[in-house]
Amino acid sequence: MASIPSSSSSPSPSQPKARKKPGQTTSPPPPPQTKWRTGTQERLYSRRLVDALQATRDRAQPPESVGSRAVKEAADSALAMTARGQSRWSRAILFNRNSCRKRVLVKAGGKIRRHRRKHQAIPPAMEGAGATSGVLKERKVKERLKKLGRIVPGCKKLPAATLLEEAADYVAALEMQVRTMRVLAEALSAAAVSVPEEEEMEIAEQGS
Amino acid sequence: MSSWRSRSRQSNTSRISDEQINDLVSKLQMLLPETRTRNNDRVSSAKVLQETCNYIKNLHREVDDLSERLAELLETTDMSSSQAAIIRSLFM
Repeated sequence: MASIPSSSSSPSPSQPKARKKPGQTTSPPPPPQTKWRTGTQERLYSRRLVDALQATRDRAQPPESVGSRAVKEAADSALAMTARGQSRWSRAILFNRNSCRKRVLVKAGGKIRRHRRKHQAIPPAMEGAGATSGVLKERKVKERLKKLGRIVPGCKKLPAATLLEEAADYVAALEMQVRTMRVLAEALSAAAVSVPEEEEMEIAEQGS
Repeated sequence: MSSWRSRSRQSNTSRISDEQINDLVSKLQMLLPETRTRNNDRVSSAKVLQETCNYIKNLHREVDDLSERLAELLETTDMSSSQAAIIRSLFM
């Protein structure tokens, strides 16, 4: 498992990494596949998920039922915490939870409009410059990188290499999240089937 | 640090080496179930990025579906009574 960085409790948005120096890379963290597929992470996450779900259910007022959005948010927060804030997307998820939702929505509304204008403005300008096929391919790659940056939380303005790393980690983490939630859902539905049977047996015994 | 995109829009030089980018793209490719079986040479970076976007969207959708299912299950089942089953399943 990767070692915890020095500033674990107060993560800064731009941690000074050794990427500026040529030929020097950061200390190699374990590849995302192996990191997220170990049983330890799954157990950690599933326990955290169960706790979070119970807390959500207790917090929700009894007449109201727990909504699917609340479950999803709890699952995402639990996932981000299991990542221990080592990746940008996990920190972005945790920060968005704390900040006011309305503020985030207003910001997102303004930014989306700006993005659309940029998209419409840029392609005609670049295509009119007599681009060769190589540059067109680069343009495709850059557009898709931008799209990826919008999907992965907290990665809108990252350089390509960091974005790709974050995306790899995010994909592996999401896979683990899906696996764990499925296991939990199966277990709960199996328990739901067995409990009514026990109740029926009790009632039958009491009745006789 | 300036982003790779804004710097290399007109020029060919980039601060982060192309090798590093290709290495990361191939790492991503190994994660995606669709492109894992193909060779690295045949799949272009654009395709890998496109597949990544689609895959992440699919995973998001699965998480949403599972959240709905879990929300329904939480209503009907009592956590305390089925906690033993849950803990048992977690350690399997």
